[in-house]
Amino acid sequence: MSFLDWIVLSFTLLAIILYGVWKSRGQKDMDSYFLGNRAMPWYIILLSIIGTQASAITFLSAPGQAYTDGMRFVQYYFGLPLAMIVICIAFVPIFHRLRVYTAYEYLEQRFDLKTRTLTSFLFLIQRGLSTGISIYAPSIILSSLLGWNIYYTNIFMGGLLIIYTMYGGTKAVSYTQSLQLAIIFTGMFLAGWMVMHLLPEDIRFNEALHVAGKMGKLNVIVTDFSWTDRYNIWSGVIGGFFLALSYFGTDQSQVGRYLTAKTLTESRMGLLMNGLVKVPMQFLIMLIGALVFVFYLYFRAPINFNQGLLNQVHNSAYAPQMQELETRFDSLALVKQGHVKALAAAMQTSDDNVIGEAQRRLQATEGEADLVRDSANVLIKKVLPGTETNDTNYIFLHFVVNNLPKGMVGLLIAIIFLASWGSIAAALNSLASTTMVDVYKRMVNQHASEAEYLRMSKIWTLIWGVFCIAVAQFATGMGSLIEAVNILGSLFYGTILGIFVVAFTMKKVKGNATFWGAVLAEVLVIVIYLLNIVSFLWLNVIGCLLVMILAWLYQQGERMNGAIRK
Amino acid sequence: MENAPQEKPPLFSRWATWYWLVAGVLAALIVFFYLFTKHYS
Repeated sequence: MSFLDWIVLSFTLLAIILYGVWKSRGQKDMDSYFLGNRAMPWYIILLSIIGTQASAITFLSAPGQAYTDGMRFVQYYFGLPLAMIVICIAFVPIFHRLRVYTAYEYLEQRFDLKTRTLTSFLFLIQRGLSTGISIYAPSIILSSLLGWNIYYTNIFMGGLLIIYTMYGGTKAVSYTQSLQLAIIFTGMFLAGWMVMHLLPEDIRFNEALHVAGKMGKLNVIVTDFSWTDRYNIWSGVIGGFFLALSYFGTDQSQVGRYLTAKTLTESRMGLLMNGLVKVPMQFLIMLIGALVFVFYLYFRAPINFNQGLLNQVHNSAYAPQMQELETRFDSLALVKQGHVKALAAAMQTSDDNVIGEAQRRLQATEGEADLVRDSANVLIKKVLPGTETNDTNYIFLHFVVNNLPKGMVGLLIAIIFLASWGSIAAALNSLASTTMVDVYKRMVNQHASEAEYLRMSKIWTLIWGVFCIAVAQFATGMGSLIEAVNILGSLFYGTILGIFVVAFTMKKVKGNATFWGAVLAEVLVIVIYLLNIVSFLWLNVIGCLLVMILAWLYQQGERMNGAIRK
Repeated sequence: MENAPQEKPPLFSRWATWYWLVAGVLAALIVFFYLFTKHYS
């Protein structure tokens, strides 16, 4: 990075911290700390919801995912708008009527304390672990870029955001998220424009899309059904619906965002607007990844986008073998450049045979290059046993650092930090609010003063921040981080959602039945995941249905037992 | 927050219209993505 990049990066990060601290001065009690005095308008709710969901992982991993696997990941979001509708109808009015701090408070009123506590703990485990991964995501950038130790980088990254989250509570989170998103959208638009600008002059936007499409990168809709295929329209609409319903309806990191609204209408409008903008937004982010793929057909791509790993191999006894593979990879890249130009020319002819032939040649060469990449990954594993060689998270970063002009690189790196901070800050705030409201205030200390609760809320924000940084230290070797977070969520979300669905729709099912149904369902979900029977998105559906069925069966059993005793 | 589940939505007279709008936009996007995939593959 140039000096100008460092200036842009440092100024942006410092400005966000100061803005967060300034906007949130004057916290008096838990209501202002966790709910911002319930005074937020719908557009702040919308930006806060988007900012909470879209972490650095979204902006790092998603374009890389499009590069490697095509754009079919977009389908994962198809269930989200439908979930927003259901949440507006069923969840939000209840949370508003009861004036709860957390979603789990409602469960004690509907069931009992143990069901509330179980759900809170499932949330705390899941959210604590995923937030650790979210801290690790931007840390790999600094680590790879500057050669810093990843462990110290995690501490630096997490430590900076704890400052304003701990000090300012939910108000700091919401207002900084709005500013962060404004900067993020500007930067992503500029990055997309730069990809097109950097392509050869004779390749316009439409030609670039045709090339990406011929290479299978514009597969936005996949209609073939398979239980084990991660992204198709069926798993996206059905599995994605259950995941989004659980995430936005029962995950305190999101519920805490729309509970800050000043009216029910403001909450609903924030959620519905999210339903309108999320899918197109994700489509555009992934489109950038598909265009980056086209860019690297014309220009040299590294054999592995994680430069840090390559450097370590080059400094080992295996350096000559890696050199040999790179020479082979570069010569194939030259052949690919010829083929992609031929494909672009063939598309001008509109002759399907000519286009098909050029496409086959390019795909065959790409296949050969992939084999060489695989060999390089085997070599990396020989030098660094146990290291993750999947470079999906590094693809977009490599493009940014090596191809964008001075200043822009600093801005893009800042964006990745800000995106990450937005979601992590909301997560820390929700972890602290759940711990305070559902555990500390409910079970440990019910009669403290407001000042004492506020002090403890800040301490718990700090404790969770330290815990998440500790988790981040173990996050290396998780492959695509966006998938790791989603898989982790799917392991718990189905069960949590099932508990809420039973609460809302099965009036005759009581606390005992729901509690034991949920415990058994969670065990079964983890077993199903370990046996690798279905793709992870289906775990949300399975977990939810299992809780409903098992709780109903338990309730029937109790009823029959009662009848026999009489 | 106000305890008013009967609050009127902005622009439309019923919340149901907003819900149909969100579902309709999703359906339109899926159709667009399907045509996009077919056109460029």
